Amino acid sequence: MASQHSTQEQLLEAIMDRMIPAVGDLPSAGQMGLFDEIVRLAAKQKRFENLFHSAMAAFESNIPDFLTSSESVQDENLKTFELNNPEHFNTIRTIVYIVYYKDSRVHKRIGWDGNPPQPQGYEMDPWDESVLVNARKREPFWRKV
Amino acid sequence: MTSNHGSKDMTVDVLIIGAGASGAAAAASLSEAGFKVKCLEQGFWQDPSKYASASADYDFEMLTNWSVDPNKRQLDEDYPINIDNSPVTPVMFNGVGGSTILWTAHTPRFHPSDFRVKTLDGVADDWPLTYEDIEDYYDRNDEVMGCSGINGDPANPPRKPRQMPPLPIGSDGMRLINAFEKLDWHWWPSDNYINSEPYGEGRDACNFCGHVHMGCFKRAKASTDLTYWPRALNNGAVIETGARVRRVTTNSSGTATGADYVDAKGVERHQPARSVVMAANGIGTARLLLLSKSDSHPDGLANSSGLVGKNLMFHPFAMITGVFPEKMNTWQGPLSNFAMSQEFYETDKSRGFVRGYTYQFQRSLGPGWVANGGFTNAIPWGDNHHEELEKRLGSMMAIAVIGDDLPELHNSVDLDPDLTDSDGIPAPRITYTLSQNSRDLLDHGIKNATKVFETAGATNIYVDPLMRQSGWHLMGTARMGEDSSNSVVDKWGQAHDVDNLFIIDGSVFVTGAAVNPTPTIQALALRTADYIITNRNDLRG
Repeated sequence: MASQHSTQEQLLEAIMDRMIPAVGDLPSAGQMGLFDEIVRLAAKQKRFENLFHSAMAAFESNIPDFLTSSESVQDENLKTFELNNPEHFNTIRTIVYIVYYKDSRVHKRIGWDGNPPQPQGYEMDPWDESVLVNARKREPFWRKV
Repeated sequence: MTSNHGSKDMTVDVLIIGAGASGAAAAASLSEAGFKVKCLEQGFWQDPSKYASASADYDFEMLTNWSVDPNKRQLDEDYPINIDNSPVTPVMFNGVGGSTILWTAHTPRFHPSDFRVKTLDGVADDWPLTYEDIEDYYDRNDEVMGCSGINGDPANPPRKPRQMPPLPIGSDGMRLINAFEKLDWHWWPSDNYINSEPYGEGRDACNFCGHVHMGCFKRAKASTDLTYWPRALNNGAVIETGARVRRVTTNSSGTATGADYVDAKGVERHQPARSVVMAANGIGTARLLLLSKSDSHPDGLANSSGLVGKNLMFHPFAMITGVFPEKMNTWQGPLSNFAMSQEFYETDKSRGFVRGYTYQFQRSLGPGWVANGGFTNAIPWGDNHHEELEKRLGSMMAIAVIGDDLPELHNSVDLDPDLTDSDGIPAPRITYTLSQNSRDLLDHGIKNATKVFETAGATNIYVDPLMRQSGWHLMGTARMGEDSSNSVVDKWGQAHDVDNLFIIDGSVFVTGAAVNPTPTIQALALRTADYIITNRNDLRG
């Protein structure tokens, strides 16, 4: 079981490395230690967890030598999988993107405050009626019955 | 084994099925008039303090446990929907408040012309009532739900002042508005049932978190668990949650006698009633009527016309997304509907189609949502990933085209022969195709929205010609009309075939207009309640 976990972890991290490359002072996504968070998050809904494991299994069976391939071959493999297995590919990409963009190191790099939308919310300038100065000039044009 | 909750008479005057937008409005009105009201709701009460917008996992929750799509959410209280034959996915929520829990709360009214499409444009059918017939009910509903907006819109008839000023437009919103003004096209601040200032019992003002579609943590968005239901419960109405209706029951003369349901503990029960009000939305109500076959109603309850489940209308949506060169923090403010345009709302046959559409102005959300595409395709993986994320985050806005979808018999809800909910009750199956008129209408909207983004200076423009997950508005499957041979209910929502059965959700719509339907649904529900109060003393115990 431990070795299966390890294989899936290695495979997903290799996929993540090709999906989201290193940038600035951040390594590629597979080197950021995000696997456990992906597994935790996927397990929050049974339907999604099943989709995720199915997608990983499909990837592994379709591309058994992904881990030992060169980066350029891995990119071609990913493109082929995306084209031929779009639902499986989307499942993997979705969870990878979500987990990557909830990481505080990524927030720091892109200038995102990292808070969930609530309870803070955001500030906006209050409603200003002067924006209607032009719109109010138009005569009524709704269709009378 | 069916139980009646004990031996004493549990018969209620009015049994409402569904605790959403319309069921809540009717319950408040009828209970205030002294009717003994009970509502069966398959979902449960929600606690706004637990909405996922306050969770660090909100991006994941939005796609799973808090998805607007019941097929993705898959809570026990949801029922699956077979959508194999529909390019549009119906979305809804099952719980006290119904889909108002997850709606975006955009609340424009129908136009007077929307009730007269046969007379004016020679298509579909006229409604058996007029704008003026429901205008007062619109106003009553605004008072309870709380409307932010402002008078003076030249695209709509004059009306009473809203309860609150509009939500702020923001500098990002002005970018789109300036383009509309350059093109000399109409725009106006949207009506929203979102508080721009505190309004209603315990309801705060919006704090612009953006995630209006995930339940409102601040209770600033009106959902009927916060507006109508407290009034109804205070009047003595009762809700039973976790109560999944199997069928509306009838006696040998075809009169409705109540409903069989499965309670929250899985016990089969019967609720006797002097009348039944269906408020389970345009899919759920049709499903239940079709499930309620009997010797008196062999084709389904109230279905002598054969129109139960027919004429399903969604509003077909196209979405045009523009990316601007500047950062405008487009995640700040309600995601949807801070303003709208009805420049192309009314019929102009020179355009090559009848009826029209509304433009709804949309914002964007945070990096997880943007990376996964938002309203367009996911940003690419690989070498260009970071550059593309940088381009779109805080710079992406969208315009939705919401089109008037005319009724067609072949667009329908029926019972799936295999698929069931968790209680083994047959699930609904949707068959839907987009008409050529709707396609032409959407294409016109896409072309002109593209022009807006070009005028506004967008550097990249993406088009989704028909949004998949856009079936919010479920209409037409038990339409109203004067003639019992071509309609299911009369102008009061009373079934032609069963005089103590009423339908008050979007099922009764004759046509769909090109605006969000909920204020119209609620206005009609209040009108039906008034009809019962005034004319149906025989239903009181």
